[in-house]
Amino acid sequence: MTTAPPTASPAPQRSVPWARATVIVYRVVLHELATRGRIIALSLLALIATLAGFAVGTSDSATLDDGVRLIAGLGMAGVVPVVALVFGGGSIGDLRDDKTLVYLWLRPMDRSPIAVGAALAALTVATPITMIPLVAAAALTGVGGGIVGATVLATAVGLVAYVSLFTMLGAWLKRYIVWGLAYILIWEGFIAQAGAGVARFAIRKYTRSILVEVTGVDLDLADFSLAVGIGVPLVAAVGALAVATWRLAKQDID
Amino acid sequence: MSELPPPNVLPAPNTSTGPTAAPVQLTGMIAVNQASKFFGSVVAVSDVSFAIDGGVTALLGPNGAGKSTLFRMMCGLTPPSRGSIEVLGSDPRTDRVVRGRIALVPQQDALFDHLDALDFVTIAAESHGMPSPREVAEHALEQVELADTGDKRVGEFSKGMRQRVKVATALVNDPEVLILDEPLTGLDPVQRRRMIELFHRLGDDGRCVLVSSHVLDEVARLGSRVLVIAQGRLIAQGDYHDLRSLMDDRPHRIRLGVSDARRFATALVDRGFVSALSLDDGQVVIDTVDIDAVGRHLAPLAVELGVRLTEVNPLDDDLESVFRYLVEGR
Repeated sequence: MTTAPPTASPAPQRSVPWARATVIVYRVVLHELATRGRIIALSLLALIATLAGFAVGTSDSATLDDGVRLIAGLGMAGVVPVVALVFGGGSIGDLRDDKTLVYLWLRPMDRSPIAVGAALAALTVATPITMIPLVAAAALTGVGGGIVGATVLATAVGLVAYVSLFTMLGAWLKRYIVWGLAYILIWEGFIAQAGAGVARFAIRKYTRSILVEVTGVDLDLADFSLAVGIGVPLVAAVGALAVATWRLAKQDID
Repeated sequence: MSELPPPNVLPAPNTSTGPTAAPVQLTGMIAVNQASKFFGSVVAVSDVSFAIDGGVTALLGPNGAGKSTLFRMMCGLTPPSRGSIEVLGSDPRTDRVVRGRIALVPQQDALFDHLDALDFVTIAAESHGMPSPREVAEHALEQVELADTGDKRVGEFSKGMRQRVKVATALVNDPEVLILDEPLTGLDPVQRRRMIELFHRLGDDGRCVLVSSHVLDEVARLGSRVLVIAQGRLIAQGDYHDLRSLMDDRPHRIRLGVSDARRFATALVDRGFVSALSLDDGQVVIDTVDIDAVGRHLAPLAVELGVRLTEVNPLDDDLESVFRYLVEGR
């Protein structure tokens, strides 16, 4: 073992700039999240939507209404939130669970790059896994009417919102998968169906509104304008990451 | 550091001079002032005070004594429930600049397993804002003799190699304070010796190196300054040799296996080596206050009596008995 330290002693005071810290966290979390098992399992899940789109497209009586309902039902209610939950929740949640978060936390950097970098990494993995099969599903329906563009926009907005929300959940709660599934299945899938007031607090309502606004198809509980459909989820995403940042600063780290 | 208190004196010195006096705030590179940590109804650390500066200090305590919780508080990973902890005059939980001047080797084995050692340590250097992080990482790995592990992922490393990778990450920022939680676990004897030499070099360089262990022999080699913690309380602090002599002065119990137990026991009593003695199924269990004399004379006595000595087993040389003696005086 050698003796000379690489730099002069005592160490100069350092802190890592925000953007640099975000990139470092992004790289680490991206490697941690992108495991073969997760990617294959979630790709297969998303592929169900593609197959369903193909099935709709082979029907002689397929309409734009059928295509949009398929994207809203399988894509916006299932594929997008579930994929976002696995990657968004795991982005910080996995580091906390396996106790490697300390290697990012105990550093001369702010807390927000950890939340933002983790969410961006989750978004990077989740986007191709959801976007490609859902856009393929929309295209394979063959119904036209702007369904492909609507799917791209709704998926993108939904991913940003869900990933941020679940990143916050992963930073906050140990059983983030359970709570995330409860949000998707119970809150969005059941309680939010009770009325427009409650549905306002469900991301699904906004992604459905985007589909409706772009394609003109009529769906239940989807009556927001395009601006609201895009804007509110993005604001919610920023808020969720702010809460995740606050939580990272306040919680105990193992 | 203050001198070792007598076994039954538990409160750390310099914290309070009386019921109405304000506690004196200790200062040092690490200053722990009446720190306590509760997890619900569980008291993990209770009213601990000490201050340490440059050099190597060993924190000795059995598993579950509160060592890791104390370390986590020092690094800002969890705040104290009561009291205060300052490292380099600040709180690492809120002061990000101080976080860049300290390093922790955590006890847990978790690493980014998909990375090779160089990438893992390079990320640590980058996240400390080090210039030329790759070179810094290479140098840190050289210091722990892991410079030639190539593309092998740390997930495929042995326990000892993982420990050394963790130590390498703790060196990248040239820290003024190093907090190492059981860093010698899993190392072979040669690596253990070299790691201890490394800690001493860092301490000699003026850095504050705080190393925890539950193994008494490790502590003996780690340094002369020792903090002893048990059941969340600081029960002794001071020079290791004082602690050692305190241990040596207490009665020791040894089990001896001999071919003629009764005759051997009689000879031990006649020569005044033992303060108490019992015979049990062909074995002799002795209490002695002069462990060195017994150690020197056992073999010659066995030769002289023509008996075969098959076992010499200290029954109370473990850490628990040391703590019991320090805490309870027995």
